[in-house]
This record gives sequence, structure tokens and C-alpha cells, in this order.
Amino acid sequence: MRLKICTLILLLAGLYTTQLVSASEINIYSHRQPFLIDPFLKAFTEETGIGTNVVYSTKGLAQRLRSEGKNSPADVILTVDIGRLYIYEDLGLLAEIESKVLNTTIPKHLKSANNTWFGLSKRSRIIATSRKRVSAGQIRRIEDLADPRWKGKICSRPGSHVYNRALVASVIAAHGLEKAETWARGVVSNLARRPQGNDRAQVKAIYEGLCDIAIINNYYFGKLKYSEDPAQREWAASMRLTFPNQDTGDRGAHVNISGGGVAKFSKRKPDAIKLLEFLSSPKAQRLYSEINFEYPVNIQVPPSNELRSWGNFREDKISIEKIAQLSIEAQKIIDKVGW
Amino acid sequence: MIRLAGKSNMKLLKLDPVVFLVSATILFAILLVSPVCALFVMSLKSSEGIWQHLIDTVLLKYILNTVTLMGGVALLSLMIAIIPAWLISNYYFPFCRTLDWILILPAACPAYLVAYAYTDVLEYAGVVQKLIRYLFDFSSPDQYYFPEVRSIWGAIFVMSFVLYPYIYVLARTAFRAAPASLYETAILYKKSIFVNVGLPLARPAIFAGLALVCMEVVSDFGTVEYFSLETLTLGIFNVWIGMNSITSAAQLSVVTFIFIITLLLVEIKSRAASKYYDTSRGQSSPLAKRIYGKAATAAVLICFLPPLLGFFIPICILISNSLYAFQYEPFTNFFRPFLNTIFVSATCALFVVLLSFLLVSSSKESRSNWINWLVGLSSTGYAFPGTMLAIGVVIAVGYTDQLISYLNSIAGIFPDDFYLGGTYAALLFAYIVRFQAIGFGAVSSGMQKIAPNLLSVSRCLGKSYVGTTRNVTLPLLMPYLLAGGLLVFVDTMKELPMTLLLRPFNFETLATQAYQYAHSELMAEASIPAILIILSGLIPVIFLNNFLRKA
Repeated sequence: MRLKICTLILLLAGLYTTQLVSASEINIYSHRQPFLIDPFLKAFTEETGIGTNVVYSTKGLAQRLRSEGKNSPADVILTVDIGRLYIYEDLGLLAEIESKVLNTTIPKHLKSANNTWFGLSKRSRIIATSRKRVSAGQIRRIEDLADPRWKGKICSRPGSHVYNRALVASVIAAHGLEKAETWARGVVSNLARRPQGNDRAQVKAIYEGLCDIAIINNYYFGKLKYSEDPAQREWAASMRLTFPNQDTGDRGAHVNISGGGVAKFSKRKPDAIKLLEFLSSPKAQRLYSEINFEYPVNIQVPPSNELRSWGNFREDKISIEKIAQLSIEAQKIIDKVGW
Repeated sequence: MIRLAGKSNMKLLKLDPVVFLVSATILFAILLVSPVCALFVMSLKSSEGIWQHLIDTVLLKYILNTVTLMGGVALLSLMIAIIPAWLISNYYFPFCRTLDWILILPAACPAYLVAYAYTDVLEYAGVVQKLIRYLFDFSSPDQYYFPEVRSIWGAIFVMSFVLYPYIYVLARTAFRAAPASLYETAILYKKSIFVNVGLPLARPAIFAGLALVCMEVVSDFGTVEYFSLETLTLGIFNVWIGMNSITSAAQLSVVTFIFIITLLLVEIKSRAASKYYDTSRGQSSPLAKRIYGKAATAAVLICFLPPLLGFFIPICILISNSLYAFQYEPFTNFFRPFLNTIFVSATCALFVVLLSFLLVSSSKESRSNWINWLVGLSSTGYAFPGTMLAIGVVIAVGYTDQLISYLNSIAGIFPDDFYLGGTYAALLFAYIVRFQAIGFGAVSSGMQKIAPNLLSVSRCLGKSYVGTTRNVTLPLLMPYLLAGGLLVFVDTMKELPMTLLLRPFNFETLATQAYQYAHSELMAEASIPAILIILSGLIPVIFLNNFLRKA
């Protein structure tokens, strides 16, 4: 009896191992959550007849791809920030691809110089302030957050989160290492509580009166505003959204990208490129703002009405690659100031 | 040696099952150690000055936080595991049989989900504080004191109440197996049966459990990330992703690893002087003493508190969260992940128990130091954070695949495109490497209690090694094998970081599903797979408990 059960289990194990992937489908290593990319992939399959398979993980897929080497089944890499995308580039895991569509639709500062990776959507790091306790226009620049008048008023997620790290990198790019460190120290000394939670939790803290100011990604505002949970809609209503650094002559608000590239040893490169092209097409670009309140990268596609209703903003046009390169220095500053 | 008696040495070398046992052990141990080796090799490269930066800034903070967390969880979980285990195995009071199995329930709850649940209720915006503000008419956080959930104390609380069953299961098994004669002797000499007999006898089992708890704490990522506690594990990821240095990340995890291993070695050394054999099979176990009145009430409360905080309250929070999601989330979405979860957990538990038995037996039989070392090393995967161990597995599997493709290029042994990477086999291998320690701890603490003369007697009576194993060792070990298997089963069900990274395409388990929802703060949706994890963990818990009671 026991032997039979063991054999059965081993047989089943065999079945599981032979679950091979079909050749007419492309394989995706994704740092972006399945339920966020599923609508895109469905639309892609409908349009092209090419099926997709996904592995999602927040960390380590670059190492998996690297040790699989030439044997890797992966075709496309998708990430939600420039930091992780750059790791693939740095390890030499991405193929240089030629695509007229990608080259003409995606602006230069949002893709790599050698055509290995491409931004597919933009998200801006914005300042959320309490409608009740901070009047409009009191904070205009990201630099203002270090002003001692906001002591005990700011909430933030930990500095070493990718979004904050990229933000610090953008401050380094604008002002140099020393001033960036002074700025980060100033922000930390203004914190109302130990850095914790994610961006959504910071808005909640504003609503609850724990703090008056927070730094968040723009799409969280949209998600809260249209949440199915009435409590979350109240949090959104309690905050005012400010795009920082918008005055004439200022550099514009810091943006990060979600993006993708083609795996170096992909066996289905033409199909993989098709997926990236599809993701940059107007149809998919509109989906980004519908599903996740992100801004289109495609210069021919205007932001959705909802996004436009939050106000027009000018973005910091610094090359996103530069931000990725500065992230190590940014992390060092974050460690030093204890953010 | 007895096994050589009456036979020629030469003949034995060929047939001796012990030789076979040891060879198999060496093979499997090397396989199990390979991912850990891969991490060590990775850590040998230069870190390009990152260490200096870490020492100057955050390293001390990481270490202090880690030590505080580990020490706190160790103390609290020992307390809430040993006292109920002692009460349950030595006293008879109302509900004691029910409480016995209820006490194991928190083992089915992933720590990070319990952390989510408690934060939801206890934070400033949570129900409890809202109620306090409403009752006392407060309007801001400055007006009253309430402990911060997202703190190191919160983490100690959550982890202790979720992890204590590791100690409880093993301690109770050991307390039950203690011979009545020793207790009677202690009573005659007016010594405390708890301090002088129970604890020393159960010490190997208790420490096996404690070691698991400590390793679990050090490798935990979900809870410390959610609470933003700057521990070594969190530091590893800051260095890896933030500084784009997998080398320094590997170095940091190796340092953590050495720290844990040193702790374990100290314990093993201190235990080496004394051995505890159970020579009393056939003797009755201590009779449970009946207690009444206040004492019984106190016992019930003491035994109910750990599962209340580690299981009932969190699951109530999860259920109340999920009620909303049940309306629009079809149950079929969770069917396939549910099957996957049960399948991976069952196979992993089976393999780990078999392997543990193999390794423990051969380390006992061979009596060679280096086999002992190798066997010990093969269960160290547990001391690494899951994601780092997954990287080790990825590298080890990558090399195997290169070997396969090389062999294919000369001989064509395997079908085309046959690789281990990205298959269920690779994932199963990773689970085994990680959870081997649990099976090994349980089985070897059982083996330590089998008196060697029992086996010698069996051999003298003419039974072969295999016969002795079948008729003497296995029956005596069965409760421990099952206890180990159960813990591995529920642990595999909860496992997250390795599953995320190593799974095949389109493969979801309940844990990955819960994580993805929780990651997007869709707590209602996340609660459904979380409840399923917990409920399916209950089945083996109840099954095992019935078995242990009969044994």
C-alpha cells in the first residue's frame, strides 16, 4: 500500500516535470504582477496569435536567466523600475534589438543607448499633502521637503525601496553627492515616524492625521481614488497631489519607468520584439493608464482624461540610464542618513 | 563490532547494507550541499569597497536588530511551547485533548500573513485604536500611548506565536516518551520532575526545535520587510538590489550563516557530554496526573493562549477580510493553485523524511566523523534566507544543465531541450535543500533516544541490519518521522521566495497567490488563499496528532 502511494506520487512528479512549453509561445520573466500584465498579454495573443507563458518574481530572475545561459527558455523580460532593468543590462543578459517602431515611439531618455531595453510606461514620484493642514503652493519642489519647518510632518516608506532610491539618484544628478546627502538628511529629520509601509500606507497616514506630507508614486492616487473600498476613497480625498519642480527653469518631476527587453539567448526574438512593440502601441499604452494610472511613453499617445484631470506636468528629462547608474551612490547616502 | 561477527570481512564489504547506506548518503549529501557551496563560491569575489561602507554605516544596526529579534523570539517561543507541552503530557485537565491538537495549529499560518492581519487591526487606523479613540474621545496619536505594531517587538510577538509549534511538537513527543521510572525516582528523591528529569530528557528535541525557530527567524523576509526592520536579511537585499552587488549579498548571507552555525555548534558541543537514551520501551509512560479547580483553569488558559494569538485571532481577521472578496472572486481561481500546493508539499515531505532517515541512519552506523559533518552540512540550507538559497539552487541547477547539454552534444542521452532549470524537479530539489533541516532535526532527535543496546540485542538475536531497521529502528522512529514530515508539509505549503523564483511557467501555489494580492494591498483577495493554506495545513496536523496519541 505504502509502496503504491510512493509510486503514484513519483509518477505524478514525472508528469509535472514533463510539462514542457510549446514552441509557438513566448516565455516571459516578469517583475510585474501577473494580474497587471494579463490584460496586455490577452490583447497581444488576440492580435497576433502568439501565446505567452509567465514566471513572476520580485527578485532573482536576472540570476536565474544568467545561470540558465544559452539554455534559457526566456524570451522577454519585464520590470517595474529602472533599477532592476539595469541589472539585466549590467550582466549582459539583454539582446540588442533593431525595431523601427520602438526607436520612433519611445523618447531617447527612456531607453538604453544601445537598444537593449525600453521604457514602456512612466510613473511620476509626486508629493501628497493634506488638504486640511497644508495649503496649496506651500510645497513646490522636492527640495522643500528638507526644510526644517516640516519637522515631524513627513511620512515615507523606507529609503532603500527602489522608488525612493531612484528619487535620491535624481537629486544627486541635479545637485551632486554632497548636497543630495544634506537634502536626504533633512528629509529624514523631518520624518513623523520610522519609515515603514508602502506608498498607499503613507496616504492613509495623512488621512489619519499622523503626518501632513508624503512622497508617493502618482498611480497610487488613482488606485485609491477608484478603490472598491470606500475607506480608501476617503484617503484619496484627503490628499492634494503636487507635481514637484514645475516652476519655469526648474528640472521637472522625477519619473521612473516600467520597461522591458529581449533575452540575449531568446530563440524567438522576432516574436519577442513583437511583444515589446505591441506594448508600446497606442492600444497598449492606453491600457497602462486605464489599468494602473501610468503615463504613456509613446510620444504619439496623450495621457488619459483621468490623468490629465490631475494636472499637466513636466518631467525631469535626465536620461533614466543615468538614474540607474547613480543608484549605488544613492543607496550609500540612504544608509548613511538612516532613511 | 557486532555486525562483523561470524562473517568474513571481504564478503561483507560487498554486501554490507551499511556500505550501501554510506555511499548513498555521500551522494545525496553532496547534492544537498551544492547550492550552499555555490553561495560560498559566489561570496569569494571582491566586493569593491561595499563592506567598508557597510561597516561605517548600517552593519552594526543590522546585527543588533537581528540578534534582538532572534533572542526575543527564542525566549518567548520557548516559554509558550515548553510550558503547555509539559502540562499536556503530564496532567489531565478539561479540554486537554482538544488543546493538545489546537496548540499545533499556528504551524499552518505563514508569519508574514499573520503580520498583515495584526497590523490591520492594531495600527493607528485599525479597529482597536479607533475604538480606544472613540471610547476616550481622543483625536490624535499624541494623546495616548499604544505600542507600535510595526516594530521589533511586534515582530517578536508575531514570529514567536507562529513558530513555537516547532518546539512544541518535538518537546511534547519527548516528554511523552520519557519513562515513568525516572519520574518516580525523582519523586522519591524529592526533586522537581520538570527541572531534573523532563527538561534534560527533552533537551535534544527542544533544541532541535529551537534551532529551526532561530533559522526561520534569520531567514524570514516577509515579516521584516513588512515591518521595515533593518535586519541582516533586509540588508542582504538592500546590497543586492540597491548596490547591484550579488557578491556582497552572498557575503552578507554567508556571515549570517556562519553566525547561526556557530550557535548550533556551541549547543551540540555542550550537549555532547551527556547522552539520553530511552531504555524503557515496554515501561509505561508517566501517568497523567488529574488536576482540578483553579489549577485546571490556569492550565487551560496557559494552553489556550498560544493558539489563540497565533491562530484563532489572525484567522478571524483573515476570514472577516475575505468575506467581501468571496462575492466576486470565483472559487475556481484557487483550485489549480490548491492542487499544486498540496502536491509539492506532499512530495517534498515524503522525500525529506526518506532522506533524513537515510542520512541519520548512516551517520549513526558509520561512526565516522566526516560523514557526520557531511550529514550536518547537508541540512544547513535552512540557515539562508530563502531567496539567497534559491540563487544557490539556480546556480547549481544551471551547472547541471550545462553538464546535460554537454553530455547531449557527445552522446545524446537526453531528449532535446531537456533541462532541469524551470521544472518542477528543480523546485522540489530547492524545497528539499531548504527543509531537510526540519526532517533531519526531528529524525535525529528520535534516533538519539534509541538506546544502542536495543539494536545490539536485535543483532545478537540474529537479525540482519535491514531486519533490525525494519523491526526495531523504524517502529521506534515512526512518531518522529511523522512529526518531521508534518512540519515539512506545512512549511512547504507556506514557502514563498523560492517558489516565486524557481517555479515553472504559469505555476501558482496558494502562497504565491496570497503574496501577489497582498503585495498590491488587496488584502481581501489575499485572505482567501491564506485561509486555504491554513485549512489544508490542518488536515495533516489532525491526522498526525491522532497517530502520535496512539503511539
